[in-house]
Amino acid sequence: MTVDSKQSKMGAGVGFERIRRITGYLVGTMDKWNDAKKAEERDRVKHSIAK
Amino acid sequence: MIQMIIKRDGRVVPYDREKIALAVLRAMRASGEGTVADAARVAEAVESALESRCGAEPPQIEVIQDMVEQELMHHEFTNTAKSYIIYRATRTRARESRTTLMKTIDEIASKDAKLSDLKRENGNIDGDTAMGAMLQIGAAGAKAYNEAYLLRPEHAKAQREGDIHIHDFDFYALTTTCTQIDIIRLFKDGFSTGHGFLREPQSIQSYAALAAIAIQSNQNDQHGGQSIPNFDYGMALGVGKTFRSQFRKKLTDVVEDHLDEDNLADAVAEAIEKTEASFGPNALEPTEGFDASLASHLYDSLCIEADVAAHLVARARRRAEDQTERDTYQAMEGFVHNLNTMHSRAGAQTPFSSINYGTDTTPEGRMVIRNVLLALDAGLGHGETCIFPIHIFKVKEGVNYNEGDPNYDLFRLSCKVSAKRLFPNYVFLDSPYNLKYYVPGRPETEVATMGCRTRVLGNVYDPEQEISYSRGNLSFTSINLPRLALEAKGDEARFLKMLDDMLELVAQQLLDRFEIQAKKRVYNYPFLMGQGVWLDSDKLGPYDEVREVLKHGTLSIGFIGLAETLTALYGKNHAEDPAMQEKGLEIIGRMRKFCDDKSQAMKMNFTLLATPAEGLSGRFTRMDRQRYGRIPGVTDREYYTNSFHVPVWYPISAYEKIHIEAPYHALCNAGHISYVELDGDTAKNVEAFEQIVRCMHDEGIGYGSINHPVDRDPICGYVGVIGDTCPRCGRKEGEAVSEERMQELIKKFPQIKAFVGIE
Ligand SMILES: [Zn+2]
Repeated sequence: MTVDSKQSKMGAGVGFERIRRITGYLVGTMDKWNDAKKAEERDRVKHSIAK
Repeated sequence: MIQMIIKRDGRVVPYDREKIALAVLRAMRASGEGTVADAARVAEAVESALESRCGAEPPQIEVIQDMVEQELMHHEFTNTAKSYIIYRATRTRARESRTTLMKTIDEIASKDAKLSDLKRENGNIDGDTAMGAMLQIGAAGAKAYNEAYLLRPEHAKAQREGDIHIHDFDFYALTTTCTQIDIIRLFKDGFSTGHGFLREPQSIQSYAALAAIAIQSNQNDQHGGQSIPNFDYGMALGVGKTFRSQFRKKLTDVVEDHLDEDNLADAVAEAIEKTEASFGPNALEPTEGFDASLASHLYDSLCIEADVAAHLVARARRRAEDQTERDTYQAMEGFVHNLNTMHSRAGAQTPFSSINYGTDTTPEGRMVIRNVLLALDAGLGHGETCIFPIHIFKVKEGVNYNEGDPNYDLFRLSCKVSAKRLFPNYVFLDSPYNLKYYVPGRPETEVATMGCRTRVLGNVYDPEQEISYSRGNLSFTSINLPRLALEAKGDEARFLKMLDDMLELVAQQLLDRFEIQAKKRVYNYPFLMGQGVWLDSDKLGPYDEVREVLKHGTLSIGFIGLAETLTALYGKNHAEDPAMQEKGLEIIGRMRKFCDDKSQAMKMNFTLLATPAEGLSGRFTRMDRQRYGRIPGVTDREYYTNSFHVPVWYPISAYEKIHIEAPYHALCNAGHISYVELDGDTAKNVEAFEQIVRCMHDEGIGYGSINHPVDRDPICGYVGVIGDTCPRCGRKEGEAVSEERMQELIKKFPQIKAFVGIE
């Protein structure tokens, strides 16, 4: 995609990049991951730090 | 009278009794009973049996083979019948694998990766590109061959039916997993990559460049993660060389300026050499008296007044130090960029790289640690988070853990960086099972990790060399623990008996694989063995078998789904009930004991691995759900829980989770990792982040890391947590931002390198 300098807006159609750790490696997108890994990532709950 | 027969593919061909006789004779030869006449007799009997069964209809080949089996039994050639049956089964397996293989290749060649789970099995390969697809086709072919020809039938069955998973099965006939590359030894006197000889590097820039090349070269010899265990100690030598040459340059400059003369480089170099002859090599922190001595040599050779000379030396030192710091940062930045972009493995993947650091307390080592952390913090060209290498910070009391320790500041910095970039992870040298190998002043005895968690330290084969460096895992196979529990139907004794049998089966399979690996020669691993990267391989010639030196490596038995196993057996997992924690430790302890006993019996390193494999667990879970139905807490999700972990969906505090998982780290000596999931706001709180790392250390975790969401808006460059709306530019995913707003943002955040995440 290129940005036309005359255009007054930029970023249309550009998504956010979301880095996650899957099986020990960082990944920039979940697209390339198989269904079980995606499900595991989706199910994760945050851990509280209250003692 | 039989005239024609029907082959498997449907073709009708003329019948020939001689062919039956020949097949029978072959089977008789294999079992060592019967004669040519016996074979003819059996063939005749087969023929008449066929005639009475099929009449004039041409028989199917399968029917003929059934008759052969039957008549062999009739004529009491029992052993021959057995070997004939095995022969048939092997042929069937080979035939089936060919059919499956063609289907698989068809899927790789024609389906989009989005629609094909198969093509997304390894997320690091882009199956939609030509090279990626070629790699996948090659892997599929290798797997089919390995299953049909290299596995014993019982191992092939266990693998096929999901009792076990043989990792990196496509490489079964080819190589081993991973190595900790000792770059100090490798760089000494230079090395060869197979594409040319590289001289011993002379600056931090070339040290860093060669470190990336070493990882890349070794990745072409092995299928697993490549790691540097001594990144700080190794790069520190490069920093030292850069400093010494910068110091010489800067001192020449200031001396020439002071005397208003040119061409004094030789005189300055001579003064430095004389000083080094008595005080040792110049360094960021030289021996006491170095600078004074140098000043007096300058006085001797160039008649510079003592106090002026001292002043010039101090200035040169300051400038050289600044320049070295800048060069080191650039070198680290280049290294990280390199590892995120360079390719190996047929050009389709970046190497799986790891670097370990944190314990070198020399000024040079500290400069390396600081700058590699700062480069990680800065990210790639547009501020992207680096995917590679995995950074591992070694935590050690007395070195960097407590306030007052020489590298405590760097530990703090690492927490700040990890809270932003997800790396470094932490490996804990004080945990008892790591500490017992630790010898101060011998960094090779410090635990280090590679790939997603592999660890090598103990050495049954050679107890004199219980070290991290130059060793690694040879191969690993994981056991589907929940399957055993489901099969045992709540009967604990039965479960344990099946577990023991399965451990024995896997150990045998690992030994079979070792036999293939061990028969290779040094020239099969041109870098790993040819350049002496692997322990003791420097003692071998190019045509020597690698068998003995490979024994420094580990054969690892892995497992997944302890949580589901406990639920299947007793109704609850180890986070839900303390009694289950005891059961869990018993099961995993039993597996570890098996590995230890096997190690002693074979004088080889069998180790227990906490398998990292949500992907493979997906396959196990699918198969088990088909077999046993949907069982709550066991088969009701799409995956089995990673190794001994508390299930990701189970609500629990970070401290509690660490407390439950830590004892398993002591048992899983092939590798382990625990994760804590934080929300974005907590992760930003560096104090809280550090407290979790400290809790891991104090609880005896071996290796841990903290997950938190790291999002980035490529348009405005914001890195952090992004919900629906970007907190910096205010756009939603896919929305555009006006140019005026962009200009405003550029003014406000000038440190953002470029607002050009789109290209
Ligand atoms: Zn934004």
